[in-house]
Amino acid sequence: MSASWKQLFFQILLLLVSCRHINTKTPGPTPPPLIPIDQLPTDVRSVVLKGESHTEKVELLNPVNLALECTWTGNQDKLPNITGLWRKNGEEVQNSSQTVLLENDQYNLKRVFSIVNEENLGSYTCEFGSKAKIDFVLAAPQIGEVRDKPIVSYVGDSVVITCKMEDTKPQPSTWNWYRANGTDKEQISTAQEPLRYEIKSEERNTKLVVHSLVEADGGLYYCGAVYAISTSMSHVKLKVINFHEPLKPFIAIVIEVIVLVAIILLYEKSQSKKNSAAGENGTTDQTNTLTQGESNGPEESSSMRQRKV
Amino acid sequence: MSPAPADELCRKPLDGGWGWMVVVGAHISIGFAYSTPKALSIFYKEIQENLGASSSEIAWISSIMLAAMYAGGPVSSMLVTRFGSRPIVIAGGLMCGVSMVTASFGNSMVYLYLCIGVIGGCGLSLNLNASLTIISKYFLVKRPLANGLAMAGSPVFLCLLAPVNQYLLQIYGWRGSLLILGGLMLNCCVAGALMRPVIAPCKTSNCEPQKKLKEQPNDSHTKLKEGCMKNAKSFLDLTFFKDRGFVIYLIGSIMFIFGAYAPIVFLSAYAIRQGVEEFSAAYLLTIMGFVDMFVRPATGLIASSKWVRPRIQFFFSFAMVFTGTVHLLCPLFESYTFLVTYAVFFGVGFGMVFALIFECLMDLMGNERFPSAVGLVTIIECFPMLLGPPTAGLLVDIFGDYKYLFFMCGSVILSGGLFLFVMNIYNYHMLEKEKPGMDREKKQINVESQAHLTASEVEMKRNPEAEMERSEPEAKEANGVQREPQPENAETPD
Repeated sequence: MSASWKQLFFQILLLLVSCRHINTKTPGPTPPPLIPIDQLPTDVRSVVLKGESHTEKVELLNPVNLALECTWTGNQDKLPNITGLWRKNGEEVQNSSQTVLLENDQYNLKRVFSIVNEENLGSYTCEFGSKAKIDFVLAAPQIGEVRDKPIVSYVGDSVVITCKMEDTKPQPSTWNWYRANGTDKEQISTAQEPLRYEIKSEERNTKLVVHSLVEADGGLYYCGAVYAISTSMSHVKLKVINFHEPLKPFIAIVIEVIVLVAIILLYEKSQSKKNSAAGENGTTDQTNTLTQGESNGPEESSSMRQRKV
Repeated sequence: MSPAPADELCRKPLDGGWGWMVVVGAHISIGFAYSTPKALSIFYKEIQENLGASSSEIAWISSIMLAAMYAGGPVSSMLVTRFGSRPIVIAGGLMCGVSMVTASFGNSMVYLYLCIGVIGGCGLSLNLNASLTIISKYFLVKRPLANGLAMAGSPVFLCLLAPVNQYLLQIYGWRGSLLILGGLMLNCCVAGALMRPVIAPCKTSNCEPQKKLKEQPNDSHTKLKEGCMKNAKSFLDLTFFKDRGFVIYLIGSIMFIFGAYAPIVFLSAYAIRQGVEEFSAAYLLTIMGFVDMFVRPATGLIASSKWVRPRIQFFFSFAMVFTGTVHLLCPLFESYTFLVTYAVFFGVGFGMVFALIFECLMDLMGNERFPSAVGLVTIIECFPMLLGPPTAGLLVDIFGDYKYLFFMCGSVILSGGLFLFVMNIYNYHMLEKEKPGMDREKKQINVESQAHLTASEVEMKRNPEAEMERSEPEAKEANGVQREPQPENAETPD
């Protein structure tokens, strides 16, 4: 009996050890599952060109095998064959140069590109000789509403920076915030400084709240809309100023008001002193009209004549 | 209508000289009063983002400010009657400045409602009422021109404040901008300093003329003043509703105010709906404001002319009919050029009506009753002003088309203008009928008031207050009676 107990004990021990082994992997960001290229979905974009050039914007969310088709109606020469070429970001794609025949009064170029990550995005151009070309601009959805003016806030205050993705564009899977650090961007993590930073993200918009601002907090802040294929960035500039800055013009204006009021009241006092010095039949407007009015008093018709003037 | 002859016993309005400086002061004061609620909307987006408020929450700031400005009318007219214009405008300027400065430290919407809305609005209402009153004290012959120049402050300051606010917002953010705006509003105190009080507060024919006052010992002088002032104690004087001319004017102006502001609020949105780009749509309002700036003094000049002055009520109703017609014609054509033309004519109509709106009330009420009348009118105008734009917005929501908004506003204003025109004809007709009776009564009361003057001189030292209270209603009635037949006298050729 003790032998079977020992066996059981050893089995359990083995089990535990092997389990522990499995659990010692440190949890970290899991890399995106690598989908083999032939298992990517396929998409087609085709453009028919009638003139000399055209630009087509292609919005991509996920990795895809993208087939780009170019059709050119040709020019007046109508050469029977022409050299076709593909370029990526201006540089010729290797082994893409080919001879294109005139079929049905058209020239056709077609190629399939695997767009997997951010490096694959960019501008793809199909060229017909050096006579016509079509640009396909491949990009993740860009954040349209970019705030061009800086947000101004004060030392000790808190500021809210927002980023929004339009309703017409697909929503990102998540949002990230970065701070400019020299030429790099450093991701802002609320876990590290929970008292200072707060990120509130909904589907289409995100807010970064920075509390207890200091002047060093000023600078560029980037919000990134994360899609499977890449992250689109938009930036907002934050300016942190001291409260003394608006106080200076304010005090200047207050001083101006006090000076003007003093001038007006002193002028009035000097006028009235002049008049009281000159005696009762003074030259002030009021007393003048007063005496005038009194002499006109019994004549009511004078008031009516005013109206008819 | 000219003020009652009883006023003439005391003083004749200046119609020039220092009066023009007073017009400058009124221009500044009225300018801030009308343009601040609109100019503040430039800060709203920033405040919304910072404090996390919704669009409707933030729009309440302007609404509360406008409501406080209009509703504070009766209180402000009572204060103006008691203390004169200068201290009230200075106090109003200080209140506005303080309200903006305290608002710059705000962290919640309720705080902003209180500071900007309530305190700021009350400060502005003090400014508005006092400025209008002092114009009526300084001008008679050129009063329409003075009114036109003073009311032109509204578009001028709007055109000035809008870019200034934008600039301040970029440099200092919304807090710093509110602080500096508060400083700018302190300039209303400068405007107040310009409003030199007219000496001889001769309220009624039974108040002692200035000359005799000087001979009296000091204590009875002050007692006399108190006696005069106490007559203005009731600030909500409902006897105005017995005055036919007042009621007609009130109905007409309610109808105008109801339809006046909605087209301004929705013009940009309508233009964008027609396919105009955003910048050009905003430009339409600028055009309107620019035209408004010049039309107001021009209207004042025209109204001062001898042909128009006696018929100023009809000119006012013409201006309203014109504005209503312009609104009705707006949805008919849909090109941008037409919208620009519409904006120009809208500016003309709007400017004409606003240049005349207070002048006509002064004309009807005379100097004596104008402060209380304008307080009553503004508090009643509060309701159509607050109801107009939301009703128009509701129409847009229900029908999904902006043209019904313009039809509604145009028809309300047009019918208001026609109503005024017809009812004024009726009013003058009735007054002409009543005139022979009035003339007889007038002569009687004049004799009586002269007797009272001499009698009150004697009794002055003994019991000034009782004297004032007793003779006041009679004098008031005399003033009212004497005032009404004036338009008839003015219209009959010399």
